[in-house]
Amino acid sequence: MRHKEKNIYRPIEAEVLDVVTESPTIKTFKLRPREELTFRTGQFMEMTVPGVGEAPFTPSSKPSVKDTIEMTIMEVGKVTKEIHRLQKGDTVGLRGPYGAGYPLDDFAGKEVLVFGGGVGLAPLRSLMYALFDRVSDFKKLFFRYGAKTPGDIIYKEEIKTWEKMKEVDYRITVDNGDDKWKGHVGLVTTILDDMKLDLDTAIAAVCGPPIMMKFGTFKLLELGFKEENIHLSMEKNMSCGLGKCGHCRIGPYYACKDGPVFTYDRIKDLHGIWD
Amino acid sequence: MAEKKYLTRENFYAFLDILKKSHRVFLPVKKGEQRFWKEYDKPSEDIVIGEVRAFEPLKSFFTLAREIVAEGFSPDVPHGGDKPFALVGVKACDMKGMKVQDHVFLDHDYTDIFYKKMRDDNLIITSDCTRAIDTCFCLAMGVKPYSEEGFDINISEEDNGFLVEVGSEKGRKAVEKSSYLFQPADDTFVARRDRIRAGVEQEVRENVERNSVPEEKDLQGMIEKNFDSEIWEDEAKTCVECGACTIICPTCHCFLLYDQKDGEKMARLRIWDSCMIKDYAHVAGGGNARPWLWERLRNRFEKKFDFFPKVADIYACTGCGRCVSGCPAKIDIRKVLRRLVDDAS
Repeated sequence: MRHKEKNIYRPIEAEVLDVVTESPTIKTFKLRPREELTFRTGQFMEMTVPGVGEAPFTPSSKPSVKDTIEMTIMEVGKVTKEIHRLQKGDTVGLRGPYGAGYPLDDFAGKEVLVFGGGVGLAPLRSLMYALFDRVSDFKKLFFRYGAKTPGDIIYKEEIKTWEKMKEVDYRITVDNGDDKWKGHVGLVTTILDDMKLDLDTAIAAVCGPPIMMKFGTFKLLELGFKEENIHLSMEKNMSCGLGKCGHCRIGPYYACKDGPVFTYDRIKDLHGIWD
Repeated sequence: MAEKKYLTRENFYAFLDILKKSHRVFLPVKKGEQRFWKEYDKPSEDIVIGEVRAFEPLKSFFTLAREIVAEGFSPDVPHGGDKPFALVGVKACDMKGMKVQDHVFLDHDYTDIFYKKMRDDNLIITSDCTRAIDTCFCLAMGVKPYSEEGFDINISEEDNGFLVEVGSEKGRKAVEKSSYLFQPADDTFVARRDRIRAGVEQEVRENVERNSVPEEKDLQGMIEKNFDSEIWEDEAKTCVECGACTIICPTCHCFLLYDQKDGEKMARLRIWDSCMIKDYAHVAGGGNARPWLWERLRNRFEKKFDFFPKVADIYACTGCGRCVSGCPAKIDIRKVLRRLVDDAS
């Protein structure tokens, strides 16, 4: 039987073109879908390891690149363990893109803080690329990133080039340094105080582990960021991505469909947002 | 008002025999005090067209508990080709359940083609309830014990036959195929039907009053008002996390996509899931939005009485009472709703 209508559960086949080890637990996979598949920055996809399962990830690559997609993935569970075994030439599945993504047009003319922790830099790398594509639209870009140790910093070489850009105010930190580390040591919330920005309009895009999201958001509020200008990537159990299976509901929203990026004012009163 | 016809009991079975050629016909049979769906073969003593809803919710005919929804990367849709179902003796409460299911699987930006095919192809023949049981409280949830819309055909059981009302093009075609079996129905049939309907409504009304079940209009904002109430922990004390309430509920729709190896290929299954189970909101990184059982019980009520009214303008409870009789811990939705309203006032 062949339907004219699209089967929403079917993944598109994609080839693994390259695997880059970013840290002891994180790898980036460059994928080439066999059918057209594009996304807006901040939207996510379900990635399938055939016969094992799927899991949601937000692409870390440049949305304006149409033929390949990169996913930066930390090994934390059943599916990601299998993903980490993938090698060049292997086949995976992709479904999506889902969700709303970052409203870049609303960021125009404003200062934008890209604020990440650990593997949370993955979707933010895509956002940085999308911002660079139209960098003159924004007043200034601030990049703040923290990792547990120097070895946990991802995209090491790449983010160094951001440091040199005149449009970017750049600071990174680690929770614990080592002998070679010359940079800042301290939680990611300790590198936010020196930003000079217009707090009535400044935008913040935050992504990281739940604890960093929580205290990072509180710190931004303390600094004077407006609730409606803080864009949070919510990690929930997004199974179908279609607003049907029910798993990722938070209050009146489905993270998969109404998010996964929410401004803080929309979700601040809802139960379990930081868990 | 659609044209009404009359079908004698004998001709009703002749009609089912004709339907059987093009459909797999299912109808409720009574075993002890319960009614179950059974595939129709020939007339039998245990068939109950009137009475009350069957034990299993109607959704089980539209999203199978376990269904293959993708095979490998193939754009071909798995399975299908079976005869459509003709579901005879569906009750109005289950039709409200289908409204919620439709909202989830049809009315979104993404249509589930498996569900849509079932919805397009299956024939729904509703029937009026001819009695109520203690757990029935449909009237409180805006449902009458008989269907006025949404059906292909509705039948109202009377002494020796059925008053028949056609509700859709699909229904009209099914009746036309065996039109010689039907006779015109005059007003006396309708008057008799209305008397029966009024009697059953009265039974349900007495149920609602005796069990002090609040009505939909009294439930507005009740979840928000009682969000931090002790009710949830108290009610969850006896819960054993079996998930029966969600499986048996005609509006519950949650599922899980599960992949398995099928030879060299991958098979993706859509499997019913339950928000009462601990792992439901668990994420690989270790987080869980609702680690406590009482949070999950509250979540179940929030979904039905706060989420659905907000996003779809419908309270996702039909008053069928299945969860009341299905719960081994005797958690009674009527009592929980009553407590919510009482505590808020």
